[in-house]
Amino acid sequence: MRKTTLALLLAVWGVTFSSPAAADLKVFACEPEWAALARDVGGDKVDAYSATHARQDPHHIRAKPSLIARIRRADMVFCSGADLEVGWLPLLLQRGARAGVQPGTTGHLMAAEQVPVLEKPAVVDRSLGDVHPGGNPHVHLNPENILIIATELGKRMMALDPENAAHYRNRMASFSKSWRAAMDRWKHRTAKLSGMPVIVHHKSFSYLFDWMGLKEVATLEVKPGIPPTVSHLNGLLRTAKSVNVKTILRAPYDPSDGADWLSAKTGIPQVELPYTVERNAPAGALINLFDRTITLLEGAHAGS
Amino acid sequence: MSTPLIRPAAIIALSVGLVLSPHAMAQGVTGSAAIMKEIRALKEAYEKKTAELEAKIKALEAQKSQQTAKNKTPAGRRIIKDNSFNPSIGLVLNGKASSFTRKTAGDMAGFAIGEEGERGNEGLSIDESELNFSTNIDDKFYGSLTAAIVREEGEDKIELEEAYVQTLPNAGLPDGARLKFGRAFWTFGYLNEQHAHADDFADRPLPYRAYLNKAFNDDGVELSYVLPTEQYFEVGGGAFRGDDFPSGNSVTGLGGSSVFARTGGDLGNNQSWRFGAYAMYSDANARATEEGEVTFNGNSYLYAADVRYTYAPTGNAKAQELILQAEIFQREENGTYNVGGGAVALDDTSVGYYAQAVYKFSPSIRAGIRYSQLDPVDTPAGLVGTDLDSRGHNPRTFSVMADWTNSEFGRIRLQYNHEDLNDVATDKQVILQYVMSLGAHGAHPF
Repeated sequence: MRKTTLALLLAVWGVTFSSPAAADLKVFACEPEWAALARDVGGDKVDAYSATHARQDPHHIRAKPSLIARIRRADMVFCSGADLEVGWLPLLLQRGARAGVQPGTTGHLMAAEQVPVLEKPAVVDRSLGDVHPGGNPHVHLNPENILIIATELGKRMMALDPENAAHYRNRMASFSKSWRAAMDRWKHRTAKLSGMPVIVHHKSFSYLFDWMGLKEVATLEVKPGIPPTVSHLNGLLRTAKSVNVKTILRAPYDPSDGADWLSAKTGIPQVELPYTVERNAPAGALINLFDRTITLLEGAHAGS
Repeated sequence: MSTPLIRPAAIIALSVGLVLSPHAMAQGVTGSAAIMKEIRALKEAYEKKTAELEAKIKALEAQKSQQTAKNKTPAGRRIIKDNSFNPSIGLVLNGKASSFTRKTAGDMAGFAIGEEGERGNEGLSIDESELNFSTNIDDKFYGSLTAAIVREEGEDKIELEEAYVQTLPNAGLPDGARLKFGRAFWTFGYLNEQHAHADDFADRPLPYRAYLNKAFNDDGVELSYVLPTEQYFEVGGGAFRGDDFPSGNSVTGLGGSSVFARTGGDLGNNQSWRFGAYAMYSDANARATEEGEVTFNGNSYLYAADVRYTYAPTGNAKAQELILQAEIFQREENGTYNVGGGAVALDDTSVGYYAQAVYKFSPSIRAGIRYSQLDPVDTPAGLVGTDLDSRGHNPRTFSVMADWTNSEFGRIRLQYNHEDLNDVATDKQVILQYVMSLGAHGAHPF
């Protein structure tokens, strides 16, 4: 019985080495926004897969079998970094055992390593909640960051798939042109939103607020990852009234109970902001994400 | 960014010094009006300059805060959880308060049980306190050691649960391949690989207690390989020393081997499944069980299959989740049992299985049920009337549990077991358990 198994193992080995390399550059993205960006920059030469969908909290994902199989065959791992995926990505990388996508390789791209990171804590202790020692990892909600990350992504794709370097270069050029045009448009629209005070469930939108100049007055969570408590919410009740908070914001995966309560008590409207794009979103989805987000915030600003 | 701020600050300090010092000088030196006048002029000039600079700083600060003056720093390629070059350290503290209706633990009908497979202590007691050190050794290897401090026969002892080295993906093996060597909770079934503190129930199900003495962690080596296929397939096998149950007292130092295969995937966005099949050969030499009263010489073949299904209604397993899990074991033993009355030949097959369902109602509240059963071998003539005589009884346990999770690091659990291990009496058990983990804590696999 043992001999048969050994033969089987060897046969499997043989198949692995003789299998022809697939044409597409396989990108394993941890979150949908990075899969969408990979499609924007890579076009039809890239097969981008997102490990999570828009209603999943990327902090807490199981290292499930399908993800091991995906990362096993990936040419590039493209994630937020800054410890957002610390609970599952290291395990996947270890289990998938794919050398070309390990930390430090060209095939390992962490967005937060490319851009300035906000809210890096000076002290790290579990009593402070689920803090990220590497700073706030939700970097994709600042369009300026997207441009920086896309440039690095384009370079990595050219290095990993030199045959199609010209293709990536062209797509990169057209992407950055249309993105810059969109940014000009957004800057114009968001000018009047600057300084608007808001309350947010979790610090998921810090980069967006930072870019737009919104004022995050408080979070519904007591501390990062620690759900709202009655006493904390009562405190927010006073804060919300004193600083004239315009809206209460939460990501689609945040529980709505805290926002519902505060909204009912204060009459301040709550808005579910799209944190990211759909899992299989086509190229161009990121531009729509910012368009939609700004429209929702404009609504909140005008409504109160 | 700091230079434009430092320079005005230095000028301010200088000018403040100049403003103060003339005072001191004025008291000591008298009659030098010309000098005083000159100093006053200087002072005025500096005051004017300072005011200008202050205005400039204010303007700069305002501009800065309008952009983004929060503490922006690049994240860098730093692995933070690992205290730079020190190994990560993790501790698990756990203990129980138990109450049993049977004051002495009954025998598991038809099975000879190892020490770890026996019922826990009644009353208040702590369980194994685990201490784990682990880190990447270099670019090619990862190392981990887990020691458990346990109380046995009135003494606190250290048990080495795991001490292994594992290859990292850069070690030069083909993609998808991993080699693990040392002592570890080897790949066999679902629960074996995980530490008991990660279980969903306060005790291991009957087949684990009977067939693996709670868990199989012999010294050995294991190779595994994830296939480059669309669907997850992993195959592997190991060679073991042959000292740990179901082996015993290895003569050659190579008394066990195993093979396994696993597959799994998703059903839509929020459901996942996994299936595995395992086989293990063990050479047993005077393997002692039942506190040394029963010994076994011979071969043991253990086969197992496990299946697991998870469903998280929103995709967020942290919020709500249903987990269904089942494992079945079959053991063929070929050898001789000695229960004190001489060697009795045995060549037969027994079966054990369990199935459980756990539902997470909210991030902190879970409840679960579990049923486990063993079907022993037909008692050979020579063992009738001994501890190994099942008298036609199938040991079985029904368990219900509910637990409260304050954070992912702390959990308190209440469990009830309705345990019929033999035909003598039912043991009704109530267990209140706490499991707390401190420090670094590795992620648990699917």
